Amino acid sequence: MKCLEGPGKTCGPLAPEEELVSACHLEKEEENEGEEEEEEEEEDLDPDLEEEEEEENDLGDPTVLGAVHNTQRALLSSPGVKAPGVLGMSLASLHFLWQTLDYLSPIPFWPTFPSTSSPARHFGPRLPSPDPTLFCSLLTSWPPRFSHLTQLHPQHQRILQQQQQHSQTPSPPAKKPWSQQPDPYANLMTRKEKDWVIKVQMVQLQSINPRLDDYYYQEYYQKLEKKQVDEELLGRRNQVESLKLVTPYIQKAEAYESVVRIEGSLGQVAVSTCFSPRRAIDAVPHGTQEQDIEAASSQRLRVLYRIEKMFLQLLEIEEGWKYRPPQPCFSEQQSNQIEKLFQTLKTQEQNNLEEAADGFLQVLSVRKGKALVARLLPFLAQDQAITILLAITHHLPLLVRRDVADQALQMLFKPLGKCISHLTLHELLQGLQGLMLLPPGSSERPVTVVLQNQFGISLLYALLSHGEQLVSLDSSLEEPNSDHTAWTDMVVLIAWEIAQMPTASLAEPLAFPSNLLPLFCHHVDKQLVQQLEARMEFAWIY
Amino acid sequence: MNYMPGTASLIEDIDKKHLVLLRDGRTLIGFLRSIDQFANLVLHQTVERIHVGKKYGDIPRGIFVVRGENVVLLGEIDLEKESDTPLQQVSIEEILEEQRVEQQTKLEAEDRKRYIHYSRDGCRGSRKPGGAP
Repeated sequence: MKCLEGPGKTCGPLAPEEELVSACHLEKEEENEGEEEEEEEEEDLDPDLEEEEEEENDLGDPTVLGAVHNTQRALLSSPGVKAPGVLGMSLASLHFLWQTLDYLSPIPFWPTFPSTSSPARHFGPRLPSPDPTLFCSLLTSWPPRFSHLTQLHPQHQRILQQQQQHSQTPSPPAKKPWSQQPDPYANLMTRKEKDWVIKVQMVQLQSINPRLDDYYYQEYYQKLEKKQVDEELLGRRNQVESLKLVTPYIQKAEAYESVVRIEGSLGQVAVSTCFSPRRAIDAVPHGTQEQDIEAASSQRLRVLYRIEKMFLQLLEIEEGWKYRPPQPCFSEQQSNQIEKLFQTLKTQEQNNLEEAADGFLQVLSVRKGKALVARLLPFLAQDQAITILLAITHHLPLLVRRDVADQALQMLFKPLGKCISHLTLHELLQGLQGLMLLPPGSSERPVTVVLQNQFGISLLYALLSHGEQLVSLDSSLEEPNSDHTAWTDMVVLIAWEIAQMPTASLAEPLAFPSNLLPLFCHHVDKQLVQQLEARMEFAWIY
Repeated sequence: MNYMPGTASLIEDIDKKHLVLLRDGRTLIGFLRSIDQFANLVLHQTVERIHVGKKYGDIPRGIFVVRGENVVLLGEIDLEKESDTPLQQVSIEEILEEQRVEQQTKLEAEDRKRYIHYSRDGCRGSRKPGGAP
């Protein structure tokens, strides 16, 4: 026989005593039964019972105590019966069982009997056989200390303890109006069984990464904690406990491979157990698939797969940043993660620069890839961010063309805008020059495509605005810089291009910098300025 | 006492009177005696309550063991307010009769709808179970 083991062997200190007291009573009764009269017994035992009751009220298990209490009553109120039908056993055998139990477990435990006042009791159907395991249970102190198995948020643990304290304070049981007659069928579900159900439910809470698995619960209790702390600071200075729930994380059982790949077999040989049913398909590409034809679909799949991998890395970085200890800079681990992700994004392992750029562009052609880059940009170092910005600017027409379906480039605008302000004039010119070059065999500059796209035109305006800022700051230089001349040429060209565009095809920018028109005024003749004004009129209104 | 605050647990509902709505539409009222981790329920002194319009009738059923997945919802019944209902209790025979009548009218209405639907020109389609038009 094995007792329900639990980490919480800390039972109420009074408990064993209480049981021994009742044991003593029964023993006494056994001895007295044939000898004394019932009334005397009752008299002897009643005051003790009363005392007991008061003691017992301090403990946390009224059902048990009630049961014990009633058992005694039961034994008392069956006069003359040497062996009352308790479990159909004689008292002697009961006592014997008890002693065995005493030997086996430190805490003997009465099964809970339904409490009735009628003398005729049939325990038959409910308690089929005097199974010793029935008697054996834990008088656990509440809340159950599953501490090495379950992880509760410290706030949660605190709430449970507070409630436990409240329940243990001696208060008369709240007399609910409907329970005027004691429910004869109450507590059919024993405390042990309730504990078991709760334990099973708690087992489901086990996790290695509660932040990931149980996000909403953790957030809720964090907020609660924060609110309480605020309350304490403002209002009554109550307990400022900072309980640290130290629960060891459980090593999760190794995820076994449910798909077995045997050499030479065609496909997968699936293995399934009761814990992990057969995996239907193997969605993750394996090495063997490189033999496939370089179909566009597989290429796209590869890009998507790359994006997913990078996204997971990004999420880790964001998590680390969100829950960082109170230091404003990146930890070394975080910097490593960021660097790693950046390298993956830039596909640095490609020797061919073109291929590398291509990889990057492919990522950017997917909506999720754009989201990835947008979310990554705030984490990157300045030079890294500028690399990305320049790459985007350089390939802007291509990106714009590919984005026609998604229209998702907008999400990149804000993070890019932030890093534009770190550009030097030289870098800026480098980026813009690509847009101005006439590609061979075409009379159209790439910038025209850019101007027709909202993101493109917004980015262009932002770049121009920044350039103007730089130049105006730098205007102390007397001699015309090569950069300055290039800049002026650039501005004139762009202005001309804008003027060339029919107003209807000009896209509406996301943000219209205020120093643009003055910029054009400086460099361009009046007529052109008028034309520009007409085109940018609607934006100018904002 | 809520053992797991912030969660839904049936432990505190034990030994209280509950109304349980099952997936097959039955309404059971009984004392919740036992549960398990799947929310299988043991209902004691159960009564199946049939509602038709403003009337209801109770059929005593005894002990029910309900598989958890068949429960739509359940709620505790406040014994004080239990009798405070605008509904009228009638005998079992009467409520069963009322139910039969209600079912019949419903079937007739559905048949009529189906007839109208299929008698329209150019309307094809086989007769689907459950009377879906």
